[in-house]
Amino acid sequence: MPLGAYLTLAALVFAIGLFGVLTRRNAVGILLGIELMLNAVNINLVAFARFSGDLGGILFTLFTIAITVAEVAVGLAIVIVIFRVRRTVEADHLDLLRG
Amino acid sequence: MRVGSAAVALVVLGLPFASFLLLALVRPLRRSAVAAATVSITVMVAAVVAAFWLSWRARPLELLQSPSTTWSWIPADGGPMATVGVMVDGKSMAMCMLVTFVSLMVQLYSWAYLHDEPRRSLGRYYAYHSLFAFSMLGLVLAPTFLQMFVFWELVGLCSYLLIGYWYDRPSAARAAVKAFWITKLGDLGFVAGIVMLWAAAGTFDFWELFRLAHTNGLPPAGMPLIMFLIYLGAVGKSAQFPLHIWLPDAMEGPTPVSALIHAATMVTAGVFLVNRAFPLFMLVPDVLTLIAWVGAFTALLAATMACVENDIKRVLAYSTVSQLGYMMAAAGASAPDAGFAHLLTHGVFKALLFLGAGIVIHVFHTNDVFRMGGLGGQPWLWVPFVLATLALAGVPPLPGFFTKEAILGGVFEAHLTIPFVMLAVTAFLTAFYMFRVVFLAFFARGLGDSHAHHHVPPLMSGVCWTLAALSVATGVNLARQMLAGAHHEGAPAWLPAFSLGLAGAGIVLAWAMYRRGAIDPARVATVLAPLDWAARRGYGIDAVFAGLYRGALLGFSRVVGWVDRYVVDGLLNVFSAWTLRAGDRLRRLQTGLPQDYVYGVALGALILFVLAQWRMK
Amino acid sequence: MTAEAVAFVGVAVVLLGSSLAVVLTPNLFHSILYLAVALVATGVVFLLLDAPFLFGVQLLLYAGGVVTIVVFAIMLTERLVGRTIRQASRYLINGALLSVAVFAGVAGFLVQAPLAGARPGVSGDLTLAVGRALVGAFAVPLELLGVLLVIALLGALYFARSEP
Repeated sequence: MPLGAYLTLAALVFAIGLFGVLTRRNAVGILLGIELMLNAVNINLVAFARFSGDLGGILFTLFTIAITVAEVAVGLAIVIVIFRVRRTVEADHLDLLRG
Repeated sequence: MRVGSAAVALVVLGLPFASFLLLALVRPLRRSAVAAATVSITVMVAAVVAAFWLSWRARPLELLQSPSTTWSWIPADGGPMATVGVMVDGKSMAMCMLVTFVSLMVQLYSWAYLHDEPRRSLGRYYAYHSLFAFSMLGLVLAPTFLQMFVFWELVGLCSYLLIGYWYDRPSAARAAVKAFWITKLGDLGFVAGIVMLWAAAGTFDFWELFRLAHTNGLPPAGMPLIMFLIYLGAVGKSAQFPLHIWLPDAMEGPTPVSALIHAATMVTAGVFLVNRAFPLFMLVPDVLTLIAWVGAFTALLAATMACVENDIKRVLAYSTVSQLGYMMAAAGASAPDAGFAHLLTHGVFKALLFLGAGIVIHVFHTNDVFRMGGLGGQPWLWVPFVLATLALAGVPPLPGFFTKEAILGGVFEAHLTIPFVMLAVTAFLTAFYMFRVVFLAFFARGLGDSHAHHHVPPLMSGVCWTLAALSVATGVNLARQMLAGAHHEGAPAWLPAFSLGLAGAGIVLAWAMYRRGAIDPARVATVLAPLDWAARRGYGIDAVFAGLYRGALLGFSRVVGWVDRYVVDGLLNVFSAWTLRAGDRLRRLQTGLPQDYVYGVALGALILFVLAQWRMK
Repeated sequence: MTAEAVAFVGVAVVLLGSSLAVVLTPNLFHSILYLAVALVATGVVFLLLDAPFLFGVQLLLYAGGVVTIVVFAIMLTERLVGRTIRQASRYLINGALLSVAVFAGVAGFLVQAPLAGARPGVSGDLTLAVGRALVGAFAVPLELLGVLLVIALLGALYFARSEP
């Protein structure tokens, strides 16, 4: 399959993930959308690496995955703290930054 | 010879200024009353000598020769725009003598009169006096309108300072401010007139202007307005109706100040101005007629107010206003020489009247004539005052008779019938109210016994006697000239007798009412109730000014305040409200909801996409 | 159609379907399961791109680690709440529009981009090369990554600890 197919697939997954981030009310749901977007990026990286014959993309993917794990761990911890403080994980209620 | 005269005039002018500088700048001198008085009086003696010497050695000027000596002042293309200098002619020399002499007398008198004042503030008093003498001399010697205006304002300033000498008295401070502002009202016209005259003629110089007037070199169209504006300055300074209201209040100052400034010299500045600029006023007969009418009306109005006044100094103040009206009327009737002669004689005997009043005030510690009396046994106190009163009333051979009669003659000749009648009535009233004061203040029974043989400092009575002697000498001199045939032709022969009859009637009436008791003053007041009522309130002119002030000035202030509050502030408020509202709107962009920020990021990315696409093309 | 193409289409269908399910399922727990499917499908895509090592990492770290953590988090939250969390969605149309717009923007570039058609052959063992790179040129980033993970772990612990 050509590179364009992989990239299109990645773009679709990215858009779906963005949709999730935009529409989910639950903080955990938003995190899931972010995971999808990161995956789409990973697909892009690997596809470019494979089609250009450069190892860098694969190594970057490795790092991305690891960082994602860290991000998820911290993100979930934050979700739990928010829940403790505000008794909710609904993003609509988390408006402390409102002007 | 001319340069010599100018030099002497400069000495006369410079001496008081040097004395002022000494007293103002050298603190120990100012702080020591004796030193300050010594310096000031010594310098003034020198100035008197110089003034008399200047007058004595003056020679009649050749025709068409300028009496001015000037130096350039404000440089401009094609010759100086303005000059300074001295103008030594008959008028200025006479005024120099009057100013220096009366100043000297008053300063001597002040030393005794203000003996109980705080010694440290007397230096200030004498410094003001020196400055005043300098200003007045500068005014009378000024050869140009501009220089005259400068000294004119200086005189106004000195008047303010001396009226407010007891500045811790609210009434004195108020009177000082009032005098300053009311005269400023006239000065506005004066300065506008000078500038317009300069625009029309291109010079400030009196002599140049007279030459132009003589050769019809002045544009006739603008002259009435210009001369009217200049006359306004004289109205303010010489307390003509309706700007006369400051002069009675100015009596809040020390009595010697009243004698010097508000009787003998400063208020005559307006009369002097009209006399000095008379060749220019001759071009505008309408303004002259106005001057005559206003002068006669002022004289009558002030005389009626003097009749009902109980404060001896205010009686004299109204009498001054009245006599200034005479002088102005004379100028308006094209008899300026008569007015000027009256100015000189009046200056002497009015100063004497004030200083004499100062003696009775000193004795009784009050200004109210009804609380004085019983001084009949002390002729050394009352004789000078009575002599001056006779002079003012117009009894020969005292000088007031001759000059007043000359004025009446001049007005009669000018066919100003109604002003003549007003002035004649004024002459009668003058005699009446002055003798009312004499009978009440000196000869009333019952009150004065306890004050018998009150001690009066010899310096004070000495000054009074000197002035009285001078007054009598002048009168005798005038009488001799009249008998020698110097009486100006044209005036009707019955005028002296008529004038004397008016004075005599006034004296007799005052005697009947206040001495003999044949006519009850209260009943007269009842008969003339409306007049009495109005005169006691100064005919409401003060109230009119207050109303004008409140109505016009405060109304204008309110309009300005409204504009400031609602237009200027309003604009600012609108801008700030818009800013606030815009900020409020923008604030709502910050919902605080995380996903809305994601929307923002996504939209930003989209914009970047679009831009990139656009750039790629 | 080559076998590779068939496999790609199949895995793409699975990936897109499960992704959609992740963002649309009301039940949060089901979302997680669909996410696991999507992650595995992504791993398969890596496999198709000749990166078996990444496939392994994806399975272990992502499908294993991340999903487990999330499941724990959800169950912990649910136990705290005391009821099953059902998630609603907001502004579906806005989100859809924006997502489609972003996709269109990316697709616009993809259409215009001169993408090289041919896929180069694999030379040597890719896993070996990755391993060498990790201890060679990328050794320092790798160590830094370890530090980052430790910090994230500590941070998560700090946030999640019960109140003293």
